[in-house]
Amino acid sequence: MAKRFALALLVAAALAIAAAYASAFLPGGAPRWAPWPMALGIPAALVGVMVLGAARDGRVGRLALPFAFSGLVLAAGFALALALPADEAAGAPLYLGLPLRAAIILYGIGLFPIVVLPIAYALTFSEQTLTAADVERVRLAGEAWARGRAANASTDPRPARPAAEEAVPAVPGASA
Amino acid sequence: MPAAQHWVIIAVAIAYFAIVVLISVWATRRTRTARDFFVAGHGIGLVALTVASVSTSVSGFAFIGGPGLIYTIGLGAMYIVLPASVTNVMGAWVLAKRMRLLGEARKLMTIPDAIGARYRSPLAQGLSGVAILIGILGYMATNALAMGVVIDAIFGVGMGWGIWIGMGVTLAYSVAGGILAGIYVDVFQGTLMAAASVLVFAAVLKVGGGLAGISGSILAHDPGFLSPWGKITPLAALSFFFVFGMGSLGQPQGVHKYYMLKDPLQLRWYPLLKTLGLILVLLLYFGVGVGVKSLVAGGRMPPLAAPDAATPTFLLRFTPVVLAALVFSGVAAATMSAVNSFINIAAAVVTHDLPVALGRKTKNELAWGRISTAVLAVAAALLAQLSGTMVAFLGIFGWGLFACTLVPALAIGLNWEGATKEGAIASIATGLAVTLTFETLNYFKAYTFPTGVTVSGLSLVLSILVFFAVSWLTRARAAEQIDPDVRLVMSV
Repeated sequence: MAKRFALALLVAAALAIAAAYASAFLPGGAPRWAPWPMALGIPAALVGVMVLGAARDGRVGRLALPFAFSGLVLAAGFALALALPADEAAGAPLYLGLPLRAAIILYGIGLFPIVVLPIAYALTFSEQTLTAADVERVRLAGEAWARGRAANASTDPRPARPAAEEAVPAVPGASA
Repeated sequence: MPAAQHWVIIAVAIAYFAIVVLISVWATRRTRTARDFFVAGHGIGLVALTVASVSTSVSGFAFIGGPGLIYTIGLGAMYIVLPASVTNVMGAWVLAKRMRLLGEARKLMTIPDAIGARYRSPLAQGLSGVAILIGILGYMATNALAMGVVIDAIFGVGMGWGIWIGMGVTLAYSVAGGILAGIYVDVFQGTLMAAASVLVFAAVLKVGGGLAGISGSILAHDPGFLSPWGKITPLAALSFFFVFGMGSLGQPQGVHKYYMLKDPLQLRWYPLLKTLGLILVLLLYFGVGVGVKSLVAGGRMPPLAAPDAATPTFLLRFTPVVLAALVFSGVAAATMSAVNSFINIAAAVVTHDLPVALGRKTKNELAWGRISTAVLAVAAALLAQLSGTMVAFLGIFGWGLFACTLVPALAIGLNWEGATKEGAIASIATGLAVTLTFETLNYFKAYTFPTGVTVSGLSLVLSILVFFAVSWLTRARAAEQIDPDVRLVMSV
C-alpha cells in the first residue's frame, strides 16, 4: 500500500515538475504560476522516494509521521517564500539574523528536516530498516544463487561464477 | 601576499602532502586484491566512512566556487546545498541498505554491477557504465584544472606544472593504495576541512558583527541579495533544489561508498553523522559568501575582481595565516580527493563493467585496475591542459548526467519490483541523449533553454517519466527479471 502511494506521489511529482519546466517554453516566458508546481512537486518527489525506500511489507509504520512532517515543512517553506510579500529592505525586522522569507528557507528547509529525519531513521532502524537476521538471510540467499549458477554452468553458455578472488564473471551483477 | 605569509602557506601545504604520502604508504601495504582496491575490502568503519563521504561530497567547489556564487547571485546559490538537510537520510533509506546487502549477497564492487544484478541485463550494466565514464571524464578534467590553479597559487609553479604535480601526487596514492588510500586521506582531509570551516565561519561572524550585522549591511545596499531566491528566478532556484536533491541519489562517488561499510548494521547512525558533518563543512560556503558581500557593501573591502576570489581574499585579510594556509591546502586536497574517488570508479568501469557487459573476463583485475587508473589520470590531465574552455563545459554536465542516468534505474529500480530492464535502458538512454545533445547545443550557443530551465533538471524529470512509462508498457516481464536473492534484498 505504501509503495503504491509512493509511486503515485513520484509520478504526480514528476509530472508537476515537468509542467513547471514546460511552462517556461510558453511565449512570453514562464508564467507567474510556474514555480508553484515545482514548489509542491519537489517535496512530493522527495517524500515519495523516501517512502518507496523505507516501506517494508507494504508499510512505513512509525515513519509516517516524520515523512508527513518533512513533506509539509518543505512545501510550506517554499509556499511561504513564494506567497509572502517581499520585506527585504534596510531596517527590516530580522529573525535569527535574517529577513523573514530568507529565515524560513534557511532555517525551515535547511535545518528543520535534519532534526527529524536522521533521528527517525536511527530510532526505527531495527523495526523498519535492517536486523542481523536480515543480513544473514541475504547472505544465505546469495550463496544459494551462486550454487545455482555453478550447477547450471554446464548448460549455460555464459561462464559460471568463478571461484578465484581476482576473476571477473561475465554474468551481469555477479562479482568475484 | 607578503613573503612571510607565503612561506607559512607553502610550509603547511608541504606538511599536508607529506601526511597524504604517509597514509598512502600504509594503505598500499593493505591493498592486495581487486576488492581491496575498488571497495576497500568491504571493511571501512562507520566514522571513517562518514568523514570520507562528507569530504568527497563537497570538493573544492564548497570552498572556492560556492562562496563566489553566493557573492554573485545571493541566497539563490544556497539551493545547491540546502537539500543536504534531506539527501543523506534519503540516500540511506533508498540506496544504502540495498547496495550494502547486494554487496553482501554477491560481493558486488561497482554501481553498474548493481544495475546488472537488478535487471539481469548486460546492456543496462554497460550503458550505465558508459554514462558514468562520460560524466567522470568531465569531472576529472575540471578537478585537474582546479588542482593546477590551487597548486600554482600556493607554489607559484604555473598552472601547467600545477596540473601535473597535483595529478602526480593523486596518481601515486590512487595507483598504489586504491580506494583504501583515498578513504583515509579523505578522513584526514575531511576532519581538517570541518575544523577550518567552523573557524572561518566564526571569523566571518566576528568581522561582520554577527549575522544580524551582516544582514543589516547587505540590506542597506542590496536588499535583493537576501530575498529567498537571491538574484535568480524562483523557478531557477527551485530547479537547483530538485537537481541537487533528487539528483544526489545518482552520484556514484557517494553511492559507491555504501559497498564499503564493514557492518551493514552500522548504517543506523550514518545519515545523522554525515548530515552533521556536512553542515559543519558548509558553514564556510554560506559564511564567506554573505560575509564578503557584507564587507564589500559596507566599504570595508573593495569589490572582487572575480567571484572566485571571495574565499582567498577574505582569508588573507581577516584570518590568521595558519588558518588561511589550512584552507588553501584543504582545497588542493579536496580536488585530489575528488579525482581519486572518480578515477577509482572510472577504472572499475573500464576493467570490470564494460568487459562484463561484453561477456568477457579480466584475468588480473587488480593489475588492470592500477594500469587503467594511471591511463585515466594522464588522459584527464592532458584534457585539462589542452582543451581550454571545453573543460568547463565537460564539468557542467557531470552531476546532471549521473542524476538522469542513475536515479531512475538504480534508486527507483532497486525499490520497485515493477521496474523492467526495458524501462531502465530507455531511461539511461534518454538521460544520455538529452544531456549530451542540449549541453552541446548550449555550449556552442546554438540553442539555449528559457530562464529557469536547466538541462540537468529537464533531463532528470524526463528520464524518470520515461522509466515509469516504459516499465508500465513492459510490465508483463517485470517479475521474471529479478533473481531470488535480489528480490530478497529489495524486500527487506
